[in-house]
Amino acid sequence: MDTDVFVIGSGPAGIQAAIHASRHKVSVTVAGKPSASAAAGPEMDNYFGTGHVSGSQLIAEGIRQAESTGAVFVGQNVISSSRGGDGSFRFVLDDGTEVVSKAVVIATGISREKLGIPGEKELYGKGVSYCAVCDCNFFKGRRVVIVGNESEAAISAEMMTGYASETSWVAWDMKASQVLLEKAEAAGVRIYGSKPLAIVGETKVEALELEDGTRIPMDGVFIELGARSAADIALDLDVMPELDDTIKVDTGCATEVPGVYACGDVTGKPWQVAKAVGQGCVAGTNAATFVKGER
Amino acid sequence: MVTELNESNFDSFVESNHIAIIDCWAPWCGPCRRMGPIIEEVANDLAGKAGVAKLNTDENQAIAVRFNINAIPTLLVFKDNVLVDALVGLRPKEDILAYVSGL
Repeated sequence: MDTDVFVIGSGPAGIQAAIHASRHKVSVTVAGKPSASAAAGPEMDNYFGTGHVSGSQLIAEGIRQAESTGAVFVGQNVISSSRGGDGSFRFVLDDGTEVVSKAVVIATGISREKLGIPGEKELYGKGVSYCAVCDCNFFKGRRVVIVGNESEAAISAEMMTGYASETSWVAWDMKASQVLLEKAEAAGVRIYGSKPLAIVGETKVEALELEDGTRIPMDGVFIELGARSAADIALDLDVMPELDDTIKVDTGCATEVPGVYACGDVTGKPWQVAKAVGQGCVAGTNAATFVKGER
Repeated sequence: MVTELNESNFDSFVESNHIAIIDCWAPWCGPCRRMGPIIEEVANDLAGKAGVAKLNTDENQAIAVRFNINAIPTLLVFKDNVLVDALVGLRPKEDILAYVSGL
């Protein structure tokens, strides 16, 4: 699929970017799941002109507006990103669809989700890992479990079957696409549907205990919550993220790489819808004018 | 440029530095790529005070096994040829400098 502007994230920042970009008569494709936005749950009282309003309501109306200007929402996460030699940007979505774009707007938000179970912090580096791609080599011939409900967990689980003697995947609220789920199953991943309760071990990981009483004897626990992080996407596009995983932008929401823009929570605090849509407007407009050669 | 270590020079590097800090990394590891420039700065700031080097764990798996590395980036910290700590995960330059000054 070819698109002029590819927006990653379908919360307030990404939707506003899509509205402004598509009004400049460029093609716009939006990835991400609206329900995953930090604004999708809460009600708010501090947003201009609406009074008391639910974030979900704003998002639903925003998507309708963006679609009416021509933006296409694919409702899937990005699982890999890269820069093409011709200045294009290339992505793969959950279902394997390839997207090629001329400009990118990173509007993923930032992950606030931590597993927060006993043993997680204490055994970090002693069997607990947050990066399967980084640490797969250290678990050759050992037993591992992947923890997470979305695409990153699915991809990590399938990949780990090439290294580990036994790969399990704990997903208590499965949101990974059917395609990724089937790939993991075909690779021999054993799937558990109960929530993790504790990571057990003294000096190294020995087991993962689940809420339903299951105890999975284990050498490694890979925590891969949510979709691919903004920091990873940025790195793949040659944008160096900050240490707190935010992405530095200038007043035009441009990153250090021409054609790559960022907006919303991913650029730092305040984590407010008002700031997200303000930056979304700037990022979307500038991404469109970049595509048209006006920047 | 930070020295790259391997099987042939690892031990001699650790032995020849009162304090040695080894950044264990691999090319496909995102957090390691972010650690790279930080380690370059740490090496400059600690020039003459500590030896700072890098170890590609993919190419030197025996050393990774020897020091029980299970996650990268990991900073192996040696003092007088004895491993005193393994700091796991991405961290800012200031934290590394503060840690070294406390050794």
